[in-house]
Amino acid sequence: MVEIHPGIRENPNATKGNAMALLDRSEWYDIARATNWTPKFVTDAELFPDVMTGAHGVPAEKWEVYDEPYKTSFPEYVSIQREKDAGAYSVKAALQRSRIFEDADPGWRSILKSHYGAIALGEYAAMSAEARMTRFGRAPGMRNMATFGMMDENRHAQLQLFFPHEYCPKDRQFDWAHKAYHSNEWAGIAARHTFDDLFMARSATEIAVMLTFAFETGFTNMQFLGLAADAAETGDYTFSSLISSIQTDESRHAQIGGPALQVMIANGKKAEAQKLVDIAIARAWRIFGVLTGPAMDYNTPLEHRKQSFKEFMQEWIVGQFERALIDLGLDLPWYWEKMINEFDYQHHAYQMGLWFWRPTLWWNPAAGVTPDCRDWLEEKYPGWNDTFGKAWDVIIDNLVKGRPERTAPETLPIVCNMSQLPICAIPGNGWNVKDYPLDYEGRLYHFNSEIDRWVFEQEPTRYRDHMSLVDRFLAGQIQPPDLMGALAYMGLAPGEMGDDAHGYAWVDAYRQMRRAAE
Amino acid sequence: MALFPVISNFQHDFVLLLVPVDTENTMDEVAATAAHHSVGTRVAPQPDKVIRVRRQGAAEFFPRNARLAETDIRPMETLEFIFCDA
Repeated sequence: MVEIHPGIRENPNATKGNAMALLDRSEWYDIARATNWTPKFVTDAELFPDVMTGAHGVPAEKWEVYDEPYKTSFPEYVSIQREKDAGAYSVKAALQRSRIFEDADPGWRSILKSHYGAIALGEYAAMSAEARMTRFGRAPGMRNMATFGMMDENRHAQLQLFFPHEYCPKDRQFDWAHKAYHSNEWAGIAARHTFDDLFMARSATEIAVMLTFAFETGFTNMQFLGLAADAAETGDYTFSSLISSIQTDESRHAQIGGPALQVMIANGKKAEAQKLVDIAIARAWRIFGVLTGPAMDYNTPLEHRKQSFKEFMQEWIVGQFERALIDLGLDLPWYWEKMINEFDYQHHAYQMGLWFWRPTLWWNPAAGVTPDCRDWLEEKYPGWNDTFGKAWDVIIDNLVKGRPERTAPETLPIVCNMSQLPICAIPGNGWNVKDYPLDYEGRLYHFNSEIDRWVFEQEPTRYRDHMSLVDRFLAGQIQPPDLMGALAYMGLAPGEMGDDAHGYAWVDAYRQMRRAAE
Repeated sequence: MALFPVISNFQHDFVLLLVPVDTENTMDEVAATAAHHSVGTRVAPQPDKVIRVRRQGAAEFFPRNARLAETDIRPMETLEFIFCDA
């Protein structure tokens, strides 16, 4: 009988008669991941250049107090991930013959398409970012956590490419799960611009703060929880299990940023940390506004909506994230109230842009403005009918009277030189649309808000040379210079261009109302 | 004559638009071009009104018959198009 020291347990995988003993993880973890050393052949600055670590001059020993709240070992990680993968893939296989794809509301299919196209390859970008933390993270714990995070993000990209792939023969818009980031489609440009800024072109510490803390803790972790619940509500258990599988990874590796912020703040770098957080939240909010806002308030069928996008943002993002910021000793971003004010209108404006410029999308946006939907919007956003409703009234009038050509785009919207999304706000009787221009080195830039312009002003050389879709059009890069030329430039082939999700069937309700009134 | 892009911020519309006009266009002609993309599209027509042009945030409108080339408007400057009494 092998005598086992307290704290040592028998290896459950060992074969009988060859018993091995393992220490509890807590007894060896700290020493095993103490991987800092004193380099002899190069200087520390050469091994960990500040430009790659983003340590802001905080020396290596100060980073050694970094204590990741979630600890795992490689065997534990592999075992859990294997179970997660098996779960997601087996649900997919079991439901292979279900008719959810055919039977789901077209608005739900649009959510899937927009999600996959905007997110799948963004996961690869996040994998590269995690790899940078793995190599250049100044704290051993950060490097260890990021190693797992890197593998997480690889898994997420693979899953979110594989799952939509089976739909490609049924609907070629699903091909954009892989295609979107390789195209010049405007939403693809917007996603690339944001993720290049927050994930790809940043140091390890900046990534810890901007990707894992601001973007993941602040937004995606919560958003994925909501999305998984919405999928289950809609009956799409395949997507629900996929998203849940991803979210559980997110909630772990999103914790890389918190301890990094603590180290920065403790070493007199609060202002630098605050700026990174402020920039990242500003940029993440725009992506959520255009992607999740219309998905929740317009594309999700009315009977499946649990809460409005505004309610979701207030409860989960503001409520939860405010506490996380304050607990770490950070301040709320200077624009916090302005951002919260945008919850009332920005995503409604994006929705109108998405629907009106629908041929430029890889998914079919649902209008989401049936009379019942409008009642719901008015209840959730008092004044909607007097503002956004006024503009939709004109669109609906054109559709009812057989003038669909008046609902087709003929020119380009001006896109923000930061978010790369249309500069838009409240129409109708609450009209408050405004350009926030900036003259920088002789070039006139346009921004959607004071917040977007502020981000640019923090580091103009980072952003100044990027050409928005409108800049490219004016530079003659889009030929012929018309809608068809623009669609070709964006890579949208026939059969891929977006159109109304419901084939305009929703307009019938208005036709009937008018007939009844006559 | 030269093509001249301006940005239309049209009263009651929800988005800024790229509008190509010509340096020889009068402000009324510039307004008509901008209106083509907004009025009857997402903005209800107001037939008894005229559409005047001003710089974003300015109180004064440009004279209706002023030609674009005669003003100091820059390419890609944002102009507001406002319904006014005729």
